[in-house]
Amino acid sequence: MKTRITEMVGIKYPMVLSGMSWISTPKMVAAVSNAGGLGILATGPLGSAQTLEAIREIRKLTDKPFGANATLMFPGAADNAKVLLQEKVPVINFALGKGDWIVKEAHKYGGKVFATVVNVRHAKRAQDYGCDAVIATGQEAAAHGEDVTSLVLVPHLAENLKIPVIAAGGFGDGRGLAAALALGAEGIAMGTRLMATKESPLHDNYKKLTVEKEVYDTLFSKRFDGILCRVMKTDGAERAIKRGLNLPAAFINSQEIAKQVNIPYFKLFLGVLASGWANAKQLAFMANAFKTFNLATEFGDTKTGVLPVGQVQGLIHDQPTVAELFERMVAEAQKAQAKVNAALS
Amino acid sequence: MYNTAITKMFGIKYPIICGAMMWLCKPNLCAAVSNAGGMGNLTAGNYETADEFRAAIRETRKLTKNPFMVAITLLPSVRITPEHHKMYVKVCAEEKIDGIEFSGTPLDKVAGMAAVEMLKKAGVKMFHKVGALRHAQHAEKIGFDGVYAAGIEEGGHPLSDDVTSMVLTPKIVSSVKIPVVTVGGIADGRTMAAALALGAQGVMMASRFIATKECEVHENIKQELIRRQEFETVIYGKSIGLQGRGLKSKVLEEVLAIEERHGGFEELIPLLSGQKVKEAWETGDVNYAPLMVGQSIGLINDIPTCKELMERMAAQACESLAKASKACNG
Repeated sequence: MKTRITEMVGIKYPMVLSGMSWISTPKMVAAVSNAGGLGILATGPLGSAQTLEAIREIRKLTDKPFGANATLMFPGAADNAKVLLQEKVPVINFALGKGDWIVKEAHKYGGKVFATVVNVRHAKRAQDYGCDAVIATGQEAAAHGEDVTSLVLVPHLAENLKIPVIAAGGFGDGRGLAAALALGAEGIAMGTRLMATKESPLHDNYKKLTVEKEVYDTLFSKRFDGILCRVMKTDGAERAIKRGLNLPAAFINSQEIAKQVNIPYFKLFLGVLASGWANAKQLAFMANAFKTFNLATEFGDTKTGVLPVGQVQGLIHDQPTVAELFERMVAEAQKAQAKVNAALS
Repeated sequence: MYNTAITKMFGIKYPIICGAMMWLCKPNLCAAVSNAGGMGNLTAGNYETADEFRAAIRETRKLTKNPFMVAITLLPSVRITPEHHKMYVKVCAEEKIDGIEFSGTPLDKVAGMAAVEMLKKAGVKMFHKVGALRHAQHAEKIGFDGVYAAGIEEGGHPLSDDVTSMVLTPKIVSSVKIPVVTVGGIADGRTMAAALALGAQGVMMASRFIATKECEVHENIKQELIRRQEFETVIYGKSIGLQGRGLKSKVLEEVLAIEERHGGFEELIPLLSGQKVKEAWETGDVNYAPLMVGQSIGLINDIPTCKELMERMAAQACESLAKASKACNG
């Protein structure tokens, strides 16, 4: 395929693996990049030493372009981003924050920077400080979208930006790919569809659920991690919504996070407090969600675990390899286009 | 030339159907859409007696020789009763209307299979607006000719499954044999092209048709739709089991505040009255009553005629598809 994204990054298919904690691991990133897409490493659960190690592992597994994300709201994300820059990672994808300094440094070595956005205001700002593309998250997406859906958000961004738009939210087959391209997108990002592939490290319990669950089996609420977040509808997720923010649990979970990302807890605690009460509350929320996301993805816990998924789970019926998926999607997109072209003549 | 199951079913030029809008889908706008090659809409709820309704149908027929749809909402309302529903169906059969857009409760549950049979015999094509696969399958089972797949982005009353068009359209297309029309988020050639790529045989738009020269609504409203962005609509009414999407406004802020503190039906009803909506359309005061528009308002930038709009959409859809095909074959 040929779009501004395939040309910019030097990949075969304009299909991007969303950076999902515990799923977009080095092996998964390499699988997607080796299949001709762009794998994005999730650095959310990693400390800077682990990020460095992960990048080196990816480079052992693939010589194709790849990316890594930095969720700037998380503690330790800036340190991780510095590692990505120092390692000259080809594509850096940041979200939930201002990444102007990342753009400046990445461009020095020819790296590309993608900003994840949910509205035209953020997208324009990202373009103004030099981002190379935006990933537009529609309401149907897993985790953090807002109210506006892909069908409306993508064409609106495409007509208001000069940089290419990558559509995220609702994409899992060739019809969706064809639709995204028709809306003016230059590529798509997929999380849910790719987490149900053979190479994905997602726990089998949840891979099975992703295939079984329907388009309407998701919950979209601010009560998981403080901002609008879409997750699979399970008993665990419904309980989490009822409970809302649990501060004592946040205290315990944040200690675990500190251990996991290798920041002394005292430093994390002070850092969070210094960021103000609103942000501290937000991070406390996220600390709890982080724990439940981990229980789902890594341990397959369907009772208390919570898994972010998009509505597209209802269109997923199998677990192909990443390469099979990409090839099939392109063939399906061509078929969809041929059908529409026939209807137009 | 467009050649889809919908254009063939009605013998129309473009697979573009105008969606139901209380107080706006009257003979003039309906005929303008049909004359321009789409499918106009006459919304039955505007008329309270069989005579008024029949007169409106005949007036529309004077204005256009082309086919048009009638919209009948099968939901309990203060003003429109189940008796009205039956009257509308009967008049449509007698007048041999080209097609009906039903929404709300399935027709067979409101008026029995006899109503379905009566319309079939009269040659009236029947569509139901659905927000879920199970409802599409029901429509197919009772012999409907097609369904409108309504995504959560639509204005009006999207089903509380809350599924977006991007996901709902392919889901329904894969699972029923009757033609599927995408509703919700459609306003231009790109969004129409996307819907067709997802397997739809046509698109339905309502908000976009408000901002046309022929729509009889206060000029302020048209300008407001140009000014407002896609994030300036809001879902309300979840607490009373009838959700709607409307333009963000002072009155909807008030509605949401009442819902937030679990105020009941009685408190909400005066704010949601249909009569006030009529006045708001006429006076151009967007803060007076909830105005049901969809997220597609973010894609509205001008006030063309219906003909200009649909010609432009058809050309833009072809362009978008050509560009997308090139990307896939490059």
